[in-house]
Amino acid sequence: MAALRTALYLLVYPGIIFLFVYSTFCEWFDRKIYARLQNRMGPTHTGRWGILQPVADFIKLMAKEDIVPEKADKPLFSLLPVFGLAIVATAALLLPVWNFDPAASTFCSFQGDIIVLLYLLSLPTLIFFLAGWSSTNLFSTIGGTRVLTMLFGYEVPLFMSVLSPALLAGSWRLAEIAEFYQGRPLLLLPNVLGFIIALICVQAKLERTPFDIPHAETEIVGGTFTEYSGKKLAFFRLMTDIELVVSSGLLAAVFLGGFPGGAVLGFVNFVVKTLIVIFLLSLIRALTSRIRVDQVISFAWKYLAPLAVLQLLIDILLKGFVL
Amino acid sequence: MRIAAFLPELLRHLFKKPATVDYPFKKLEVPKGFRGTPFLHPDLCIACRACERDCPAEAIEISVVNETEKKFQMVIHNDRCIHCAQCVDSCPVAPKKAMEMDLLFEIADFDRHDLKHKWEYTRAVLKPKAPAAPKAEPAPKA
Amino acid sequence: MKFQIPIGPQHPALKEPISLRMTVEGEVIRDADLRLGYNHRGVEKLAEEKTWIQNIYLMERICGICSHSHATCFVQGAEKLLEIEPPKRGLYIRILVAELERVHSHLLWLGVAGHEAGFDSFFMYTWRDREVVMDLLEMISGNRVHYAINALGGVRRDLDEGQRNKILDSLDLLRKRTEYYLMIGANEPSFVARLAGVGYLSKESAIDLCAVGPTARASGIAQDVRKDDPYAVYDEIPFEVCTADTCDVLGRTVVRIKELIQSYNIIEFLMKNLPPGEISVRAPRRAKPNEVVSRYEAPRGENIHYIKSNGSDKPERLKVRAPTLANYAATVEMLKKGFIADIPLIFAAIDPCICCAERTVELVDGRTGEERVVRLSDLRKTANERRAPSPLKRIWTWPL
Repeated sequence: MAALRTALYLLVYPGIIFLFVYSTFCEWFDRKIYARLQNRMGPTHTGRWGILQPVADFIKLMAKEDIVPEKADKPLFSLLPVFGLAIVATAALLLPVWNFDPAASTFCSFQGDIIVLLYLLSLPTLIFFLAGWSSTNLFSTIGGTRVLTMLFGYEVPLFMSVLSPALLAGSWRLAEIAEFYQGRPLLLLPNVLGFIIALICVQAKLERTPFDIPHAETEIVGGTFTEYSGKKLAFFRLMTDIELVVSSGLLAAVFLGGFPGGAVLGFVNFVVKTLIVIFLLSLIRALTSRIRVDQVISFAWKYLAPLAVLQLLIDILLKGFVL
Repeated sequence: MRIAAFLPELLRHLFKKPATVDYPFKKLEVPKGFRGTPFLHPDLCIACRACERDCPAEAIEISVVNETEKKFQMVIHNDRCIHCAQCVDSCPVAPKKAMEMDLLFEIADFDRHDLKHKWEYTRAVLKPKAPAAPKAEPAPKA
Repeated sequence: MKFQIPIGPQHPALKEPISLRMTVEGEVIRDADLRLGYNHRGVEKLAEEKTWIQNIYLMERICGICSHSHATCFVQGAEKLLEIEPPKRGLYIRILVAELERVHSHLLWLGVAGHEAGFDSFFMYTWRDREVVMDLLEMISGNRVHYAINALGGVRRDLDEGQRNKILDSLDLLRKRTEYYLMIGANEPSFVARLAGVGYLSKESAIDLCAVGPTARASGIAQDVRKDDPYAVYDEIPFEVCTADTCDVLGRTVVRIKELIQSYNIIEFLMKNLPPGEISVRAPRRAKPNEVVSRYEAPRGENIHYIKSNGSDKPERLKVRAPTLANYAATVEMLKKGFIADIPLIFAAIDPCICCAERTVELVDGRTGEERVVRLSDLRKTANERRAPSPLKRIWTWPL
């Protein structure tokens, strides 16, 4: 019985089928908002309002021919998409929306799971680099080096700004942080600076404009994904979508006060708050143009890192003197 | 240097109708002088072959079917036509020209040979009017 | 560690095939090697087989964006050879379409620059406003590209009162949007960070390497064929030559936006002072043996056509020197000091119209890989020898 329940959790909800459905819905939402901001239509004809368009893209990619370059490292090349998908799906299990018992620690909610979540979100960057490296294509190599160069820029501000509210709440467990802020909603206001920094860093982690340098279409063809096609590319794209859901879920849990209300209402809360975060991310995407890799590093270390330190200081002082 | 200089305009567009036309469910009207595909008015043509000479793409082909009865056949190869309307300009017939452009632009087809149009007609003879006398010549020297 | 990156012939940054082989070290470019010829269509040879009237349409199809500039340049030269002078109203309508083409080409370039820099929203907005200009051109000439408004001796269609008012109304909308784009282009931080300091071409290098058009004007050289050698009615129209001092891609953007505003003023002047009268004169069929050089300011720079006639109704020789061909040498110089990330922007900043510039042929031996440049007379001799046995059929069927 317990084995059946675990299997149901892992496969249906909150497992791979739910993640597939929800992440394609989030990708549709992102594309539709991006298109409407630019005064055009977005996906329209597949399903009502084009809602089935990302699913159609996925099915189309699965049906295409899979080509592996001759000189590429075949086992590594083929296994990387599967690893990536497994990593982000595991990260999705740690979001504080489907563990209904905040007192006990289960395998998806324990002390320090915010650190594990951040660690699991940094692994896809390494996977992108390895994907670019094992393709032995010139453009992929350049894309791979750019991914790692960007990692030096945004990782430190992201960690500092996400961990500051955790410091204020006094716990390293996502469910407890969410509960703390549900009890005192006014304490969300000092964290606004951290929210903005975290939005920009998450945009860099997901490789969207202004930071979509690693797969800049007009410069290096496809970047790390140049040689991938067919099923492997479908898995990579699904991995980016699920990464979008996980990152926005993390930001909503830490900065927007979690998902209160039990099973059904908490789920509705989850959908609404993640869609708000995705709307803000799409707004940033439509607003700016791509910047160069060296400009990313200088921007991150000149502006983002000092502001993140400032946010950390605010939270430490608040905790020390007020609470 | 203003941060997010673009933002008010972007947010305003969220509430405006998109600028895309939902073709093929809605179509835009073409203006009056649009150059679509050429076609012939067979009762007006005097078979002077001016259009055949001036066509840049060799898309008009006039051949004699019967010399005594003055029967001609014109084939317009729409797959070679570049829609420049020079044939309309070169046609010397007045006041209504024998070649005219219509407003069709959705002429794609699966087979190239389905796009060719053929007309068989008897050559028209213009009644000689004083101001129109130079235009009744079969081969105008331009 | 140096290695070679091939940009093109197939690349998402390029709209047309061209091969740029860059030798890079890290992210810095050390050398660039330019190879042309992927888009060669044999236009100059074909022009010798067609009559003067048919050649207008052939010249138009050299390029899609600057089609009117090639057609007008050819027609100006042909009118000199045929010794006819078009009437004033015809010249006004011809220049109206020329300035509208300049507007649409610069708006297109703004969108392409935004897309190469990754600024897709800017790209969508400028192309939406370009639709206004395309609708105007469709109303005047019957087609959105390849306007075919030129005839030997004037223009083919006339403007009536309703069309004139529509043009004047659209100018207000276009002016407002262009000022907005000037504000965005100068103030959006990420866009300016991409464009400023990129593709530096000093004034001396621009003069040495014979740069033309906005590429040269952004380096402070006030060179414009409309002012230096006025053709058609440009000596009657008041306008200014726009220059910038920054010598980089941002300067070229600013020059093009300023030229847009100048074009709106010119169109307004033309519409308010349109003279009545005929729109064309009758043209003879044959031209006396003579040769002529015709210059025109295309949106990309100076366009030169050289035409030679020999008394028949077909030209003897036609040579086209498109502005992009003159800018290639400056491009290689600009690329040598840039980053990889700047390649699409530097290349897009000269507004490349590669199909305009494909007039040279270099033969590469397939077996040995050696290259040689062949003279035109040798090529012509070989082609004539091969064609001599079979006569040219008047009505020919496709071999398919």
